[in-house]
Amino acid sequence: MDNMFKPRIIAFCCNWCSYAGADLAGVSRFQYPPNARIIRVMCSGRVEPRFVFRAFEKGADGVIVTGCHIGDCHYISGNKKAEERMKLVRYLIGILGLEEDRFRLEWISASEGQKFAHVMTAFINKIKELGPNPMFGKIEEGTECQQ
Amino acid sequence: MSTEQEQPRIGVSVCHCGTNIGGFLDVPAVAEYVKTLPYVIYSEHNLYTCADDGLTSIKNAIKEHDLNRIIVASCTPRTHAPLFQYTCESAGLNPYLFEFVNIREQCSWVHMKEKEEATLKAKDLIRMGVARANLLEPQTEKRVDVISKALVIGGGVAGMSASLSLADQGFQIYLIEKEEELGGMVRKYYKLTPSNIDALEFIDNMVNKIKIRENIKIYKSSIVKDVRGYIGNFKVTIEGKSNENLEVGTIILATGAQEFKPNGFYEYGQDERIVTTIELENKMRIKELDGVINVIMIQCVGSREERIPYCSRICCMTAIKNAIYLKKEFDISVNILHNEIRVYGDYYEALYRKAQEIGVHFNKFGENDKPKVLKENGTLNVEIFNEGLGRIEKYPADLIVVSTPMVNISDAESLSKMLKVPLGQDRFFFEAHVKLRPLDFATDGIFLCGAAHAPATIPEVITQGYGAASRAAIPLASGYVQVEAITSHVEEAKCRGCGRCVEVCEYKALELAELENGRRVSRTNEVLCKGCGTCVATCCNGAISMMHYTSEQINAMIDAALSEKVGGGIVG
Amino acid sequence: MSAIDDLIDDTGAYDCVECGKCTTVCPVAKLDSNFAPRLIVVKALEGVDGGLAQNKDIWRCTTCAICSNMCPYKVDYTEFIRGLRGEAIIDGFEPICSQGGFMHTIARILSNQLHQDRLNWVTDDLKVAKKGEVYYFSGCQAHLNKIFKEKNVKVIDIARNCIRILNKVGITPAMSNNEVCCGHDLNWIGDEATLKKLMEINIKAIKTAGAKKVLFSCPECMRTFDFDYQGFAGDLDFELVYITDFLMDLVDDGKLEFKDKGKEKVTYHDPCRLGRHLGIYDSPRELIEAAGFELIEMENICENATCCGVNAFVTCEALSKTMQINRLIEAKNTQADKLVTACPKCLIHFSCAVWKEIPVEKEKVDIPIIDLISVVTERI
Repeated sequence: MDNMFKPRIIAFCCNWCSYAGADLAGVSRFQYPPNARIIRVMCSGRVEPRFVFRAFEKGADGVIVTGCHIGDCHYISGNKKAEERMKLVRYLIGILGLEEDRFRLEWISASEGQKFAHVMTAFINKIKELGPNPMFGKIEEGTECQQ
Repeated sequence: MSTEQEQPRIGVSVCHCGTNIGGFLDVPAVAEYVKTLPYVIYSEHNLYTCADDGLTSIKNAIKEHDLNRIIVASCTPRTHAPLFQYTCESAGLNPYLFEFVNIREQCSWVHMKEKEEATLKAKDLIRMGVARANLLEPQTEKRVDVISKALVIGGGVAGMSASLSLADQGFQIYLIEKEEELGGMVRKYYKLTPSNIDALEFIDNMVNKIKIRENIKIYKSSIVKDVRGYIGNFKVTIEGKSNENLEVGTIILATGAQEFKPNGFYEYGQDERIVTTIELENKMRIKELDGVINVIMIQCVGSREERIPYCSRICCMTAIKNAIYLKKEFDISVNILHNEIRVYGDYYEALYRKAQEIGVHFNKFGENDKPKVLKENGTLNVEIFNEGLGRIEKYPADLIVVSTPMVNISDAESLSKMLKVPLGQDRFFFEAHVKLRPLDFATDGIFLCGAAHAPATIPEVITQGYGAASRAAIPLASGYVQVEAITSHVEEAKCRGCGRCVEVCEYKALELAELENGRRVSRTNEVLCKGCGTCVATCCNGAISMMHYTSEQINAMIDAALSEKVGGGIVG
Repeated sequence: MSAIDDLIDDTGAYDCVECGKCTTVCPVAKLDSNFAPRLIVVKALEGVDGGLAQNKDIWRCTTCAICSNMCPYKVDYTEFIRGLRGEAIIDGFEPICSQGGFMHTIARILSNQLHQDRLNWVTDDLKVAKKGEVYYFSGCQAHLNKIFKEKNVKVIDIARNCIRILNKVGITPAMSNNEVCCGHDLNWIGDEATLKKLMEINIKAIKTAGAKKVLFSCPECMRTFDFDYQGFAGDLDFELVYITDFLMDLVDDGKLEFKDKGKEKVTYHDPCRLGRHLGIYDSPRELIEAAGFELIEMENICENATCCGVNAFVTCEALSKTMQINRLIEAKNTQADKLVTACPKCLIHFSCAVWKEIPVEKEKVDIPIIDLISVVTERI
């Protein structure tokens, strides 16, 4: 089991909803794999695409941005702005050649401890399926031109 | 105090939290690892960092080791940051030079069976905390004067209790009620237990107390139309008989709840012999029960199922109370069909027994065997599968009372948006913290009580009303509040004045100001700024920074999280 | 000898006679009297400041090379700044970048040879091949297109129109899904190591395609191949051609003709990489005229052309916008119908300057900004 792949996940959580959801998961003792490293920001609207790509550049196997449900943002619409910005992330991930599933955007409320645990478990399992960040894994030679 | 030129000198306290952390990860090893991190001068581990000796130890360490950054690795900043920040401050350290690392809720409690991995994760998390702490800067909190008046939205029992309590403390209160009369939901009841008092009498008592208070101004048939501003300085527009603009320091939300109308359940609305609990209360008040011999009450209609999954808490007690009155005052036979009676506490248990003693029937139905209402030759019958006897039984009914849950008021959504306070999964208003701040909203200066939060009994509602009043009185009494230091800041030399940040700010905290040379730059109003950081993420050239959540700090945390393969990665 | 000393040697900084001509022409110094290319060099020469790499001014230079061009003693200030930035990075200083370094992060990610989908913008009406003698290097246009979508800049039109115009003359350019960012922006924040990685990937992709001639529609890519790649890797065994030069040859040979669509007046902004760095001033102008446009020149052109304000997505500040607005006023004053430029970055920077709030009356800068290839493609 020594060589088992242990994904490194960066999770951005907003202070009011998803971070509180993560806390509730803890209070409720909902177990999930220990791969995520949470960075707390006040609002998902604070998360810039560049943070996501910096994480990938530095070796993250997956990045997840979480915020309040649409309509429930503590700052009214920060999550909508995050959603808008993260479209760019998805697009760029696609053309850069990082698998799109390595990035995820989720809305988790302060009362959804269970959802937090579920989302984390599912995301981490997905990353385990995908394997290591391709920048840090093996490089395959001679990929074909798409045209 | 400036630490700009100072090298960071970091002290780290790792908490065992009894066995809450210590039982699931190797705290001494974590504390030992922390010593190897850059700028960490001092590291300790405590049984309870939040206990007196833990706090004293932090204070001593700051002095002994000349520390200029403190990290506590324990529970969640959402509950405990203020305590540790206060501790730092009392030792002369700016509270914003404190960094919290969550290794309980987000580590030990969620990885209880993976001690080794959880320990590695805790190390990673603290390393990230250290990386951020290096870049922390002292912040100063601004003081804002508080208008010592309060607004109470909702003139039911909760709102009236809160208003009375605040008025007794000498503050000017504006009490807004959307109906023509004060009293809220309780006004619709017949008699109340345990006092056996008439509900109207009970309400009138309260209303009379309110009326004689000179410092409570009542606005009936009025609603809140707009709320602007912030703690200490809310500007509220109310619409009613007269439209008025009020200025208040704090707001209490006591909008109550409403009975769920069970349209589509048991031909409710089509047969007038099928009524809700509140409709029954009214029938009892106006004595409109002639010819009724058998009443059947069906509990949990609409609740504890998919659409409204919660238990409405008060319906069982109300049904039992009404059954007793029906039996005693109207000599009507009552059969309560239920999926488990939920009464709690000495008094209500006793009431349940009393009902049984005087001959109220109770029959349990299964979750998947809901009672059926049959109309046969104009007669109503209710069929139920009796679990005890293992057979279907049929009861005749002259009146069927469906006990439906309380749901939030219809304009909850718009109030939620107007006040910037959230609704929970059950669509009731959602408090800042279930245990630690049950009467606060996360938004400063706005408080919560009564059935707007969840269905509750009258004593509970009154308690909450008093509680919310005392919470709301704190800023009113002190006359000022400290404003968040965490705001955005525009670097004028960098600002291109495109105005995009002004557009994205929901709080109108940014505006384009014209400099002497005619150049326009964006500026933050620190009191209006809520610190979300959306403007920062919007600015293409990094002219705006978010105090305490700077890009450099976030980058440093990302880098630190991934810098060592301590926690994750492929370990060979 | 220290790295700074090497740099002084390599860039001829010893020859500086402190005449101050560089400062006189510097677009940053014109707007901020505290900034002076001369001072940066003099400080280095006199060893005033061991921590020259800490000097934030080295990130404020737009590297437009107008100073190097004007210097009577041919001191290469621009290269000097690039070198200093490299030293700053080695000393652990974070470069001051617009977009928070987003573009640079993307370029670094690209240096890892991932399975890209970089040609997803090549629509069915465009003919490209995997192999061929003529290779079209599209660089970062696909990314930039999405990133600057909000600012109404359609960067990808440049690339699409390049292919369109090549197809028109019967050329099916080779393109590779494996090519990556040229590394220009990283090079100019001092990250030579990643530049080299990108260079190897690109050279391999181009060789695999069997190209003998590589066409560029981005002056930065062309400059990077020409100077930096050849500087590191020696002479490349394929020819580097800027698209305007290539198209003008076709025009001269009668192979490319334009439809007459009336005498529209345009003015042309010289991108620094294309002009002062690569010395290509004529073919863009010739192409504009060949396409039937009337070219009206601005006041400052060719060697004296003013800068678009930002280079390599390094410092973007209030002053950059002033530079851009001033240039746009200059363009508008020509009374031309359009401002044409030949660099995707100039296009982005000028468009950004007039996005949302404009610091001057709108009429003063109200001129459509369009790239050269797109403007001439309208007439094929």
